[in-house]
This record gives sequence, structure tokens and C-alpha cells, in this order.
Amino acid sequence: MKKRNLILTIISIIVLAIFIFYADSNFDAYQVRILNLCAIYTILGLSMNLINGFTGLFSLGHAGFMAVGAYTTALLTMSLAAKEQNFFMQPLVAPLNSIVWPFLPSLLAGGLMAAFVAYLIGAPALRLKGDYLAIATLGFGEIIRVIFTNTQNITNGALGLKGIPSSTNLWWSFGIAIVTIIVLLSLINSSYGRAFKAIREDEIAAESMGINLFKHKSISFMIGAFFAGVGGGLLGSLLGTIDPLMFRFLLTFNILLIIVLGGMSSVTGTIISAFVITIAQEVLRFLDEPMNFGFAVVQITGLRMVIFSALLMVVVLFYRNGLMGSREFSWDKLIKLFKRNPLVKGGTK
Amino acid sequence: MSLLKADQITMQFGGLTAVNNFNLELNKNEIVALIGPNGAGKTTAFNMITGVYNPTKGKIYFEGKDITGLRPDQITSLGIARTFQNIRLFKELSVLENVLIANHLNVKSNVFEAIFKLPRYMKEEKSMISKSIELLDKVGLGDLKYEKSSSLPYGKQRRLEIARALATNPKILLLDEPAAGMNPKETEDLTSFIKEIKEQFDLTIFMIEHHMQVVMGISNVIYVLDYGITIAQGSPYDIQNNQKVIEAYLGVSENDA
Ligand SMILES: Nc1ncnc2c1ncn2[C@@H]1O[C@H](COP(=O)(O)OP(=O)(O)O)[C@@H](O)[C@H]1O
Ligand SMILES: [Mg+2]
Repeated sequence: MKKRNLILTIISIIVLAIFIFYADSNFDAYQVRILNLCAIYTILGLSMNLINGFTGLFSLGHAGFMAVGAYTTALLTMSLAAKEQNFFMQPLVAPLNSIVWPFLPSLLAGGLMAAFVAYLIGAPALRLKGDYLAIATLGFGEIIRVIFTNTQNITNGALGLKGIPSSTNLWWSFGIAIVTIIVLLSLINSSYGRAFKAIREDEIAAESMGINLFKHKSISFMIGAFFAGVGGGLLGSLLGTIDPLMFRFLLTFNILLIIVLGGMSSVTGTIISAFVITIAQEVLRFLDEPMNFGFAVVQITGLRMVIFSALLMVVVLFYRNGLMGSREFSWDKLIKLFKRNPLVKGGTK
Repeated sequence: MSLLKADQITMQFGGLTAVNNFNLELNKNEIVALIGPNGAGKTTAFNMITGVYNPTKGKIYFEGKDITGLRPDQITSLGIARTFQNIRLFKELSVLENVLIANHLNVKSNVFEAIFKLPRYMKEEKSMISKSIELLDKVGLGDLKYEKSSSLPYGKQRRLEIARALATNPKILLLDEPAAGMNPKETEDLTSFIKEIKEQFDLTIFMIEHHMQVVMGISNVIYVLDYGITIAQGSPYDIQNNQKVIEAYLGVSENDA
């Protein structure tokens, strides 16, 4: 049984690889870009869901971790010429001004930097509970932005960075998304993952069962931040330019939207939701444009965001569990579903 | 030497002294009960011993070592486990997961070994699962191991909470009103269950209980709290015939009438 599931999983990954191979050469640039965004938002959604959904920490600092990852990756991968062009106000500090790293180690460095920052802010913030943690992490996200706006010789301040090598492609984004899924599933189903869920369910009981709250919250927070940093690095490389304004609270809000709609303790839900929301954000872009109703032309800037915010409110008020709640996809369930349906060949036994 | 000793512990909440100069001595393999009217400070005494509250004053010693002010998880690791007056299971998780979580404190592998399923972790995971299943079988919850814990009937939830505490390998088990909300039949089952696990797991038990039926039957020593003050301590026989205890429970003295 276990073996069959493993084989099915490997087959699906191969099918996905074939799809990427096809999409890579046949889809137009716009479609490829959206697919990349879907995969990157999957990584970001999963990393936030580890912290907020599985460990039950109400953290709103995700954009901050992404910023750390995006800037680290960008500064390590940019060519020396590009660096010189960007930093005309103040030269870039050593040793960043003389090194160019390959993409993968730069992404990992971005993730590690984000995890390190998570460690630093977690030390005070993770001792706070519930709403206070949300406020502290929200503050952190904004502080990071202010710092990045003012460290001219490291981040180029408000001007941002342009000419980041566009290394992100479907192979990188989907490859890393799959690695993220595998790592996080393994973590969530391990003894550590159970400890996280225990903290989510009841902190006092968890602590009384011998779980060191601060240590386990920190582990979850740092691993979540690591993947947020990697996702930020991929995003920066996909877009080619980054600046502090990109990492406003709105970005955290978008990811929060994904995990709430998908289900706060479901990996499957987050993946589905990341794709649906990312595509919907693109499809509904016309809402922000001027619309011709025949009798009048109306333009409501931000209407798209209003729709998503309203959707979030509806889900939180009437459908708390989101799409999947804490349920997960499994091959066993899928096969059972087919077996019950006699119309499917070989379905009855 | 006593296993657990509380020396003049006091807990103040603002102006309220919930527990005042409480002294306790638990010897190995005893069953000791703590009784007293609602609001007497019994749960607060538990919370000080288990590290939930840091006593305002006084010291707590476990096996001769000062444990005052340690965190609850540290105290549990040393060998003091507890249950709660209002059941606190991990509701969304299965019966088995509830018990597995209580095994986590013994896991030596770090988080990377767990993520990458390295041999040491896999060995620990396997032994933790078989140990937990064995424990659930022992306490009669084996058939329910994959049920969501909150779907269990009340009496079974109480039993699971005790099993979960046992999974931490305690030397002392603290039970906060284990028979609360139980009918006489369930109470009787529970009493024999407590005696059983005491023998099987070589435990020392300290419990808060209202049901005199439970307390009088199985405890070696009884402490009585009233408004945070220890008004009596002694054998069940002594306590039953203690005038102060009768007054505290009836609210009036017979001489007043
Ligand atoms: N965290 C707290 N803050 C303030 N007062 C508390 C707290 N915990 C308990 N108390 C008070 O301490 C007294 C003793 O409570 P408790 O120990 O729960 O009593 P018991 O378990 O004997 O019924 C009560 O008056 C209660 O209101
Ligand atoms: Mg109480």
C-alpha cells in the first residue's frame, strides 16, 4: 500500500515535469510568469501556514522575511556591472561589491538570513501571546522596510535594486515548491510537527506535557522564515527589480488570504488556494481598469483588493475552515473515491 | 527523604492570598489527597508545584532538589506530570497523537534528523509509537487510538488525559479532580483505575478530589485547605472526625445553632 502511494507520487512528479517541459517552450511569457507566481505563492503560503496554521502563532511579519531573502539573493547574484549602475548614490559595501554567487547558494543564503532575522525577533516576540505577537511581528515587517529604505550602501535605499538576473524559471520555482512541500509535510508529520500542533491546540497542556514552548515556537518560526526568504529570493529574481515598497503589509495580507481560504492546517488547501488566488488576482485585474457600462465609464482603483478582502471576511465569518480545514489529499482517499464510482473502469470489485 | 516537599509556599494574586504557607510532604508510593471547598486554593497549589505559577514565597523540592520557579516543561521532564480540572486534551488530534506528544520530551533527535527521517529519528519514532499503543491498550483505550480525542465520551477523555500524563514517565502524578462530573459507577471505576496505575507504574499520587468516596477509600494522607489555609492534615479517619473540616464543609458549626 505504502509503496503504491510512493509510486503514484513519483509518477505525478514526472507528469508535472513533463508539463513544465511543455509549458517552458509553448506557453507565452505572460502565462509562464503566472505559473511561476503560482509556485512561488505556494512556497510562501506553506511557510506562513507552518507558523500560523500548524503552530498557531499569529504572525504577520512574512513580508519582512521575504524582503530579507529577496535582497540577500539579489545582492549575491547581481553582476558587478549591475551593482555599479544601481549604487550611484553611495557605493555598495564590501564584500558585496566584489562577489557574484550562483543562484542556488544565493537563494539558500537568502533563506538562512531570513531565518537568522526570525531568530533575532523571535527572542522577544515569541514570548508574547496571541494578539501581541501579531502586533509585534507587524511592527517588525514595517521596521525592516524602514531599515532597507535607509541603508543606502547595502540596499540602495528607496531606489531599490534593478537588473537582478532573471534566473527564476518554471524549473526553479516548481522544483523548490515541491521540495518545500516534501520538507514541510515531513516536518508536520514528525514528532516536532506534533509538538507544534499541541502548542496550537493548548499551550498550557503542551507545556505541561514537557514541550518547551519557546524552543518549539522558535523552530517553527525560523523554518517558516527560511522558506519565506527563499520565496522572496525567487520572486525578486522573477520580477528583476525590488524596492522596499514591494514588501508592504499588503504582501503579507495576500499570503494570509491564501492560507485562510485554503484552510489553516492543510498543505493541500494552501497549494490549491495559492494557484486559485494567484490566477484570480490576474484574471480580475480588469476590475482596477476603467470599465465601460455603456452609460458611463467607471474606474474604481483597488476594487480588486476590495473583492478579495470581502471574500476573506465571508470565509472568516461563515466558513471558518476554508476550503480544506485540516484535511489533506491522500492517494488512498482518491482511490476510494474512484472505487465507489461504478462508472469508472475497474471501479467495482 | 520525601519525594516532593513544599516548604511554606504562598501564592498571592494582587490582594488575594489564594494559598497561604502551604506545607506538603509526599513519600514514595503514597496516595495523598488535597480537599477543600471551591476556591480554597487547591488548583493554585497544583499550579505552583507544576511551575504554572511561580510562588510568591516558599520553596518546592523534588528529590531534594530545589525546583521552585522552573518552567512547567522542565518540571515535567524531571518526573512530575499532571491532569487538569477542566480536561485539556489536544482536541483536534487523535487519541494516539495525544499520547505521542507526551513522548516528545524524550526525543533526542533534532529537527533536521526528524525532517530528513535519519536512522536515529526513525528508531525513536518507531519505539514511541509502539510504546504509546502499548500504553493505550493497558488503560483500555486501544480500540479508540485513531479517534479524534474530543469525540470520546467524558469518562474516556478523563482516562486519556491520565494516560497522556503517564506517557511522560512520571514519578509523581498530580490529578486535579479526576472524578469531577462522573456518576457513581464511573467514579468507582476511576478509583480502581488509580490504584491499578499506581502499582503498574510505580507512582506516587497527589490528587485533588471532591468525592469523599474516592478520597477516603484510597488515600494514605489527606490535606484540607480552606481559604488558602491548611486547616487539617492526617489519615482519612482523622479527617472525617475533625471538627474544623466538618465546619468548613458544612459552612456552619454545630455549636452555632
Ligand atoms: N490566575 C489567577 N488570578 C487571580 N486569582 C486567581 C487565579 N487563579 C486562582 N485565583 C483565585 O484563587 C482562589 C483559589 O482558586 P483555586 O486554586 O482555583 O481554587 P480550588 O481549585 O480550590 O477550587 C480563588 O479565589 C480564585 O478566584
Ligand atoms: Mg480547582
